[in-house]
Amino acid sequence: MVQKCLLVVPLEKNSRMRRIFKKIFFIGLIIFLLMQFYQPARNIGFEQDVTANFTKVYNVPKSVETILRTSCYDCHSNKTDYPWYSNIQPVRFFMDSHINEGKEELNFNEFGNYSKRKQNSKLKAMSKQIKLNEMPLASYTLIHKNAILSVSQKQELMNWINTLKNN
Amino acid sequence: MKNIILSAIAMSFVLISCNQKNKQEETVTSAPNETEAKATAVKVNPNSFSIKEIVTDYLSLKNALTKDDSNATADAGKEMVATLGKIDMKKLSSEQMKTYMDIADDLKEHAEHIGDNAGNIAHQREHFVLMSKDINDLITTFGTEQKLYQDFCPMADEGKGAIWISELKDIKNPYYGSEMLTCGSVRKEF
Repeated sequence: MVQKCLLVVPLEKNSRMRRIFKKIFFIGLIIFLLMQFYQPARNIGFEQDVTANFTKVYNVPKSVETILRTSCYDCHSNKTDYPWYSNIQPVRFFMDSHINEGKEELNFNEFGNYSKRKQNSKLKAMSKQIKLNEMPLASYTLIHKNAILSVSQKQELMNWINTLKNN
Repeated sequence: MKNIILSAIAMSFVLISCNQKNKQEETVTSAPNETEAKATAVKVNPNSFSIKEIVTDYLSLKNALTKDDSNATADAGKEMVATLGKIDMKKLSSEQMKTYMDIADDLKEHAEHIGDNAGNIAHQREHFVLMSKDINDLITTFGTEQKLYQDFCPMADEGKGAIWISELKDIKNPYYGSEMLTCGSVRKEF
């Protein structure tokens, strides 16, 4: 937007046009700056009810837990590792709506509050999502390269979930 | 110009403070109301508790799937979410309540997903596998006045096979619809 104005304005002979462009740019800037004031509460709640944690419901091997924490917890738990650009609006706004949606679907910190049946359904859904490469979301791994699941990691997760289902 | 900037800043502060107020209210209302649930689970009268409405919603969802109608399936899913919210659990004993809650929590999950996935009938059918199991267990636990059949499709759920509940004696397969409408068999009668 800035570049466009700089390029267009000097070419424009008409001073009235020039003033309008200036005004639009200025108003846009103000709106952008005002947006920065909106910084809602972050998803960094302390784990209050520890008994509901996924790791308390099941005996989760350390390696599996590490994978889950790096690849899933940003959107599926009560604690997000925010990147620096999360301070900028409207980036933050989209990020928050993503996180809310993710937690609504599956929250590893509240897994123990689901009914036994729902827990089993969630496990099945997790396994399926991993298998079909639907999770972690491509838009997320685009930036979080370390969240990409390797073939062996995927296999490890699915194998572990399978052993749970058989028990 | 100065005036505009000043008034805009003032407005933003007003907006922010309003927002924070809302947040405080939210945290207050999220307190659990367990005491209410405990107090009401005393009397046992299984005859007056009915899962009929849930089954009705399920059957209309199932029938929409047999017609490959994803939108109607989604509508029926939303209908079931609403029905589940209205179910009166006061008449259940605490033991029955436990069973019901276990199933209903899962059922609601599947109904929501089916409701949100109009246009993606394959995904709706995935959830229908587990939903049918829930409905089957509800009927086994709480009974039914209506004549119902448990049907089985050996190909559904990636070849693992899956059941569905039907009010019809004839097979009308909700997992494959028009593709293989009469495929499957009756396994059990309720």
